[in-house]
Amino acid sequence: MLQFVIAGLVPGGIYAIASAGLVITYTSSGILNFAFGALAFFIARFYYFLHTQHGWAIVPAAVLSIGVAAPALGVLLYAVLFRHLRLSSPMIKVVATVGLLVAVPSIATLLFGNQPIPQAPGLAPQPVHVYRFLGVPVTLDQVIVYICVVLTVVVGALVLRYTEVGLKVRALVDSPAMTSLSGANPTTVSVCVWAVSIFFAGLAGVLAAPIIGLDPDQFTLLIAASFAAAVAARLRSLPIAVGVALLMGIATSLFQRYLPPASTWTSEIIDAVPFMVIALVLIYNLVRRGRVGEANAWGGALDRAITPQGESRLGGSTSNVIDVASLNFLGRYAGPLFLIVVAASLPLMLQGYWVGLAAEAFAYGVIFLSWTIATGEGGMLWLCQITFAGVGALTTAQLANNHGWPVLAAVVAGGAVALVMGVVVGFLSIRLGDLYVALVTLTFGLLMENLVFTLPSFVNQGLGLSLNRPSFATSNIAFAFVCLGAFALVALFIVNFRRSTTGLAVNAARWSEAGAKTSGISVVQMKVISGAIAAFIAGIGGGLLALAQTTFEPNEFATFAGVVWLAVLVTVGVRSNAAALVAGLVFVMLPALAQAYLPSWTGNLLPVFFGFGAIMVAKYPDGALAEQGRQFRRLLFRLTQGARDDRSFAGRATMTMAEVDPRDAAPQVAENVS
Amino acid sequence: MMSAPTRIAEPDVNAPALVADGVTVRFGGLMALSGVSLEVGAASITGLVGPNGAGKSTLLGVLSGLLRPDAGHVGLRGQDVTAISAQGRARRGLARTFQQPELFMGLSVRDHLVLAYRARMERRRLWRDMFDPRSLVRTSPAENERVDGLLDVLKLTSVAKAPVAALPLGVLRLVEVGRALAGDPRVLLLDEPLSGLDMKASENLLSVFRRIVAQSDHQLSLVIVEHDVAAVLALSDTVVVLNFGECIAAGRPDEVRNDPAVRAAYLGDSEPVRRSGPETPLVGHGGQTSPGGVRT
Repeated sequence: MLQFVIAGLVPGGIYAIASAGLVITYTSSGILNFAFGALAFFIARFYYFLHTQHGWAIVPAAVLSIGVAAPALGVLLYAVLFRHLRLSSPMIKVVATVGLLVAVPSIATLLFGNQPIPQAPGLAPQPVHVYRFLGVPVTLDQVIVYICVVLTVVVGALVLRYTEVGLKVRALVDSPAMTSLSGANPTTVSVCVWAVSIFFAGLAGVLAAPIIGLDPDQFTLLIAASFAAAVAARLRSLPIAVGVALLMGIATSLFQRYLPPASTWTSEIIDAVPFMVIALVLIYNLVRRGRVGEANAWGGALDRAITPQGESRLGGSTSNVIDVASLNFLGRYAGPLFLIVVAASLPLMLQGYWVGLAAEAFAYGVIFLSWTIATGEGGMLWLCQITFAGVGALTTAQLANNHGWPVLAAVVAGGAVALVMGVVVGFLSIRLGDLYVALVTLTFGLLMENLVFTLPSFVNQGLGLSLNRPSFATSNIAFAFVCLGAFALVALFIVNFRRSTTGLAVNAARWSEAGAKTSGISVVQMKVISGAIAAFIAGIGGGLLALAQTTFEPNEFATFAGVVWLAVLVTVGVRSNAAALVAGLVFVMLPALAQAYLPSWTGNLLPVFFGFGAIMVAKYPDGALAEQGRQFRRLLFRLTQGARDDRSFAGRATMTMAEVDPRDAAPQVAENVS
Repeated sequence: MMSAPTRIAEPDVNAPALVADGVTVRFGGLMALSGVSLEVGAASITGLVGPNGAGKSTLLGVLSGLLRPDAGHVGLRGQDVTAISAQGRARRGLARTFQQPELFMGLSVRDHLVLAYRARMERRRLWRDMFDPRSLVRTSPAENERVDGLLDVLKLTSVAKAPVAALPLGVLRLVEVGRALAGDPRVLLLDEPLSGLDMKASENLLSVFRRIVAQSDHQLSLVIVEHDVAAVLALSDTVVVLNFGECIAAGRPDEVRNDPAVRAAYLGDSEPVRRSGPETPLVGHGGQTSPGGVRT
């Protein structure tokens, strides 16, 4: 047993270092870094590049990659990105890190090459020396992990507790604004924190490489496990995070010892350990009826007072609200209708292979509409829409193939199954706060991907499950119009949803929970409604996508592919129906065009482009398409109105409203009363 | 997990509109409220005053259901609502405004009032309307009467269709009051409604409050938290004074005005204030109190 405990301390130690980096970053900046795994991969890949590919010795390669490049990357990220997110809403911060998660692995591929590396050396010289400790074999790589964990915990605790730097970090955690007023420079402290955080990422990455190789997906999966420890620590307590991480590693190892090795369930149970930890934490919090609530978890009263209200919310800036309110019917709907008409003409103009791609693009458009509801209307970041799409596709395939259901009825049933899951996930996570919704949905996606989508009957020996389209739409062109029709139906539903009392209540819950509650609106109910509808839409879209591809392959619905989907949609715009359609076309057509007409390396540029697009959400919360639409409308306004009225379009609505100054309104009230 | 039961018990018409009994709230080591009790009669105006940090907003948080007390009970029209959520209390007729307006930036002024009306009066529409293409144009005469009447009283008709994101603070306060009143509440909690308004605007809003209470069909009661003590004393039937989380005085305005404990809490010592006349206010109009000073 001791052997397994010692062995378990290795992955546990790596989780611990990663969770320490996550907790330190969150407590000092309010940013839960979803890109932590991707950054760990980047540094580990750089170390491999220096050490293995260019023959550098271990020490200089480690010093340059972990000791210099990693902190420098942290400083760079702070300077160009995170510094500007200081006052942004938590969800904007999460999306920006999701953008990094998408972009960084592709940047690594562009810089260091794209050969698969299943095994990579760690910090120990090859061949790795093996010691015996209490009769248990321990490799030098393992010893280095133990030393790093001890150093992380001891040095971290000492620095935080007893040094001036630690005092400043702790002050920054409580209130950056008050820290600044006390004479300390929060920028300097933040730069240091980011440098240390990415140093931890690099260290965890290089230590993990001998165990999991150099695969970005495996890295992000590993770091997702450290999210479990961070969640258990409520994102704030370093000792709890490290303790839980080590216990998870030991538990994993003990499961390996005591579960039957021949069973297929054994590996799945082991993979599920971090998810079980998250589930236990959630249940514990729900039983305690405690809201973890990130809104009040970071910064003090002064920080909240100087945080702009509304302007930086994900998928809805107040300036856009004002702009849209000043538009007439034509100004509001002409652009989206034009885009939909152009899209509808694509199947007629394209031929062969490209028509099939158009059908897929429309199916993706339907899936993307699920974020239009959940994020654009509900203000929540659900990271498992791809899982709901996979559930929809799987249910469609099962019901149509094995139970003789009409295929379109099976698609709707797939949506219904996804809806039920959406309700369960929503009730489990929404009460805890928006940040936890992102974490829990990501975890749920990984759980489904690893436990359900891998079942032999679904994988079908790697062939997936084949599907037949409905008899009236077997051709690509006919099915493209079926998908477009489904898109139009869902888009019309969303248009009506926004105008309905339900939509108003969902909108209210997004902008002010306290205001909504005290108006008699259940915030949880409204968010669950929008999340469940979104899951239904994603399920429908998944069924259509599987029909467009005439097959269901579980690999198509990997959770991190869904993160790329999100990056694409956020780049275009998360509140607009037309943007969802454009995002579908962009996601399908751009890679196909690049593959057909451009050099192969350009394929890696697209994720970088989408990743940076998602990062830009910090600047344009409504997305690039919405921003371009605004710019275009302003240009039109200037051209048509500029000569007569020099007020800018942006200022027009605001100024018109601002003319009702309280000093003017109050006497009117008095007159009325008297 | 919905804490609000689906069926609302019938209220006791003879009970006080709102009762707090021994409410205690701790934030870590800080005792924000210590056994505070108050009783708000039907169709009355209760002023809640106290220096900064006295626990006024915390008490409003407990009364409205946004904060759970560590000890004590809250009663609304004869029913114990301590375990009932904020939205459940709103459905039972408790409305509130906030020190920093908590409005819905994506909605227009009229939408705020319509939503608040439907959330209390036509709850099923919160679920059903998403499937009804005519939902927003399908308004009931009662809704129109209520919403348009409030827009008119608060002089918000001219900005009814404007998104609140475009409006200045003074108007936002009126919108919040309108939203709170749209659901025809029995008790309205007002958290510093005059903050940010100039003297004339404050006086006018106070006169609106008086008129609303006087004309209410349902014996509306107000609880007003305000730094402008003179305004509260002039408006209220009863005044409750908090200091360091404890209730140090309660009674009619003239009783509270001359209470030595109250004067000590506001002026920082027990020395009586030199009076220039019987109606000298404890503090000046429109200012905030600070220890050792009359007005900031």
